[in-house]
Amino acid sequence: MTGKAEFRLGFVPLNDAAALIVARDKGYFASEGLSVELSREASWATVRDKVAVGALDGAHMLAPLALAMALGAGCEATAMIAPFALNFGGAAVTVSTRLAAAIGAEGGAEGLARLIARRRDQESSPLTFGVVFPYSTHNYLLRDWMARGGIEPDRDVRLTVTPPPRSADLLSEGVIEGFCAGEPWSQVAVRAGVGCIAMRSARFAPDAPDKVFASTQVWAEAHGDELNALLRALLRASAWSENPANRAELVAILARPENVGVDGEAIEAGLGDIRFHRDGANRPDVAQALWIVQQMARWGQVKIDPETTRTALGVYRPDLFDQAIKATAA
Amino acid sequence: MRVLIIDPDSARATLVAEGLAGVAPLEVRQAAIFDEAEAAAFAPDVVVVAAESPDRDVIESLRETGVGELRPVVMFVDRSEPGRAEEAVRAGVAAYVVNGLAPARVRSVLEVAMSRFRLMRQLRDDLDKARSDLASRRTIERAKALLMKERGLEEEAAYRLLRKLSMDSGRPLAAIAADFLAFAGLLKGDGA
Repeated sequence: MTGKAEFRLGFVPLNDAAALIVARDKGYFASEGLSVELSREASWATVRDKVAVGALDGAHMLAPLALAMALGAGCEATAMIAPFALNFGGAAVTVSTRLAAAIGAEGGAEGLARLIARRRDQESSPLTFGVVFPYSTHNYLLRDWMARGGIEPDRDVRLTVTPPPRSADLLSEGVIEGFCAGEPWSQVAVRAGVGCIAMRSARFAPDAPDKVFASTQVWAEAHGDELNALLRALLRASAWSENPANRAELVAILARPENVGVDGEAIEAGLGDIRFHRDGANRPDVAQALWIVQQMARWGQVKIDPETTRTALGVYRPDLFDQAIKATAA
Repeated sequence: MRVLIIDPDSARATLVAEGLAGVAPLEVRQAAIFDEAEAAAFAPDVVVVAAESPDRDVIESLRETGVGELRPVVMFVDRSEPGRAEEAVRAGVAAYVVNGLAPARVRSVLEVAMSRFRLMRQLRDDLDKARSDLASRRTIERAKALLMKERGLEEEAAYRLLRKLSMDSGRPLAAIAADFLAFAGLLKGDGA
């Protein structure tokens, strides 16, 4: 061993990056004979670019971003694979305490719609909400939540992108009145006393795909055996992360500054409704890719045609997942 | 040409701004955080963003909302010069051109930003190494002093002993010294 990492994988500081962090810290990569270095990234755009040019071998990625890369939406088209689903649930819509008071405790999206109608009559400026990235489950869930309450997101509110680590400050400064992001960032806002959770993805859309492990197709084709080994390590790490007996240790691992780097109480509170492994969570079902491409089309990001659908669905690779698991049994 | 530099690392942003001063005619402004209103007031032709800034995602999204047309530089350098985009990504630089500025005019800006980012990384690495060298030297001095005191060795003999342990085990001298100090602490009971 030279000590030099053989593979570099990227992650964004979120609870749902647990499988990658645990696979490294609990030695699951090592026991598969892999030397892996994790690179903590501050933005999804940088994750995308680094994966595209090969500065990262693979990454923890927003599932819709992997599809957007394959479709060339917002970037050069790059053939991508998503052979592993990292989580379901674990995201939330958080609104400012001011807004929560104005729409009432049980107000929900309908209460927000009534407030927006009143504000329109008074000719007040539209409320601003933040999402993590245009191509994210968070963008689609916030829009869907609003739409079900009778709000037209593109007409009735202003939607912007806000970096999750800054969301609590932006709420307290009144720059935004709400945001949708992965945990622990809602819990950080709640614990700072500036936000209230208005919707949890685990309740609102328990089957909505969130993060995947993704790499370029070129990388996957050149590293078949290593990919199998990586997926097996991620599967073990996901099972370990799901196990309630390991919760305290998981919280301690995620809280470290080089990982998520947020205090343990916020991390733990944010782990409450995340599904890492149970009920077959890790096998990337093509139906999930279909849901994503439908959301993209619904909100005008892509036009649905047979070619687009074929390319988008082709990113999800349950066959590669199955192959890696079969190699375990062998 | 107006250049806006977004970098949470203000020392590095200053380094880039200084480097760009040579590329005339140019107006440069730097900020730690991207503010849409400030950016609109400055009306930059090019936005240079540090890859480690979370604001990259904010700037990315502006293409979607139509507030000025921002195009990432990686999208066109890739076609004309393979490898260039990769170089910029590895150097930690992202850049966006506003409203269709000719790509060729951005090249010098990107070159300067990339070279300054690399220079800063080199300076920081050197500083880290200097710091860790200093810490190693202190550890070795303390281990030597302890050996002299506990075993009545001369300074030269204490050093030779540490040196021999290091060579026998194939581990760095500072690691041996640190182990020795930790072990001595345990024996005295203050590490238990």
